[in-house]
Amino acid sequence: MFNYLHNHYQAFLNGFSRFINNIGASVMMMIVIGITLCLPSAGLLLIENAGQISQNIEHEAEISIFLDRSVSKDQIDFIDLSLEKNSLIKKIHFEPKLIAWEKLQSKLDVAVSSSVSNNPLPDAFFISLNTLDEIKIQKLLDSLDGIDGIDSVTVDGNWIKKLRIGLSLIKLSVFFIAALLIIVLLVVIGNTIRLQTLTYKDEIEVSKLIGATNAFIQRPFMYTGILYGLGGGIITISILKLSVLGLNATLIKLASIFGNNIIFQDLPHRFYLYIVILAMLIGLISSYISARNSIQRLKIYK
Amino acid sequence: MITFEKVCKSYPGSPEILQNINLEILSGELVFVTGPSGAGKTTLLKLISAIEKPSSGSIIFESQNLSRIKDREIPILRRRFGMIFQDHKLLYDRNCFANVALPLEINNMSLSDMNRRVRAALDKVDLLKKEKMMPITLSGGEQQRLAIARAIVSRPSILIADEPTANLDKEYAEEIMNIFYSFQQVGVTVIISTHELPSTKINFKRLQLNGGSIQNLIGHVQLPS
Repeated sequence: MFNYLHNHYQAFLNGFSRFINNIGASVMMMIVIGITLCLPSAGLLLIENAGQISQNIEHEAEISIFLDRSVSKDQIDFIDLSLEKNSLIKKIHFEPKLIAWEKLQSKLDVAVSSSVSNNPLPDAFFISLNTLDEIKIQKLLDSLDGIDGIDSVTVDGNWIKKLRIGLSLIKLSVFFIAALLIIVLLVVIGNTIRLQTLTYKDEIEVSKLIGATNAFIQRPFMYTGILYGLGGGIITISILKLSVLGLNATLIKLASIFGNNIIFQDLPHRFYLYIVILAMLIGLISSYISARNSIQRLKIYK
Repeated sequence: MITFEKVCKSYPGSPEILQNINLEILSGELVFVTGPSGAGKTTLLKLISAIEKPSSGSIIFESQNLSRIKDREIPILRRRFGMIFQDHKLLYDRNCFANVALPLEINNMSLSDMNRRVRAALDKVDLLKKEKMMPITLSGGEQQRLAIARAIVSRPSILIADEPTANLDKEYAEEIMNIFYSFQQVGVTVIISTHELPSTKINFKRLQLNGGSIQNLIGHVQLPS
């Protein structure tokens, strides 16, 4: 076991020395990986923030229940009781038609309000929901439909649903772009490793002649690929962290002007860990495929 | 130890390089493969070390048929040989110690054993004091001695040398040959391809190749001093 680990340690040292020996190319490669991974990561960062905004809005979604104009006091009390019993309903507000009319009149032009002799508004309940689950809301609407005294029901949360669908679509697009960019990275890193195998052709040749297996020869190249990924991942994290810090500094200034307290939420730490792991995996996979193919293609010796 | 039975070797579109070779090399023998350029000396050594496979016939090495060897078995086989090349094939970005240690790294040897073995091999070729130097700073003879140290470090049962003294002065060439003789005397089979035989008084087998076939197979010749 110790010998096995020592063998990997030696391979790592070889890979690291190749990484250092070509430090210019290595830095360029890390920057390429860093910036490439930054694009989908920044997209996810924006989506996460937009998602959180929509989560906050969710609880303010309302259903407006307009009652018949001829509804009685008993019927209103019955509807009120029915609504209070429903666990989906977070908040109930009853707006009598007279108060609604007064409010409307205060907002309308005097000429307009005086031209309307009778109060055209019905009594209404405005309820806030605990959920935006379409099935649950539909059930609630069905149950309200059967109650006497209710004229019409309007769901005011549709725009949030549209926003959420939009966000889901954007998220899907970001994943699609991320998949394409990962393929690009696999090709770019693979090509760099292929060039390295040509640079180290003599070493590969000698190693093969004295009994090295392809796995032994591939190992240092794979460690180089992992190091590229690690460096690229760190660059991605640095760019994202700096962007969040910069944005928040600007938002704080705006908050002091407009009085709003908006903060751009950073991604959770585990997400940054995923970025580094993903980058290292990309480096590992591309270098493995490239080194294996290149060594086989060199056809130095079997 | 090594038996060639009706071995032929040719490449597509070219005449046969080796024709109907039959020979036997015994354990502990010193064999000189001689002949003019293009006689097939290097090809013969490549067949022994499984760098090439014969077009027909069979090569038996310790009951293993090399003409039917699987690709994945080749690295294991090569670890049993020590190979020395005319152009040394050293790694010029590694120091002398690291060059010699490479076969042991491949063999997954422990660090302490590796240190001991590499120093012993370097000492054997009188390069211990230069273990940290880069190969490029060594003379031609020293580079060849370093290549020998790399070949012997894993204690192979066979040493195969392809024209190891071709680019060396007479003085260096004798020095290198003396190292080979010392290994043969401790039971290592040594196979050397060369243009000319050494002048040292020693028992050896001579395999004279010409035009791809054995012209002369002379056993146990003792050269005059």
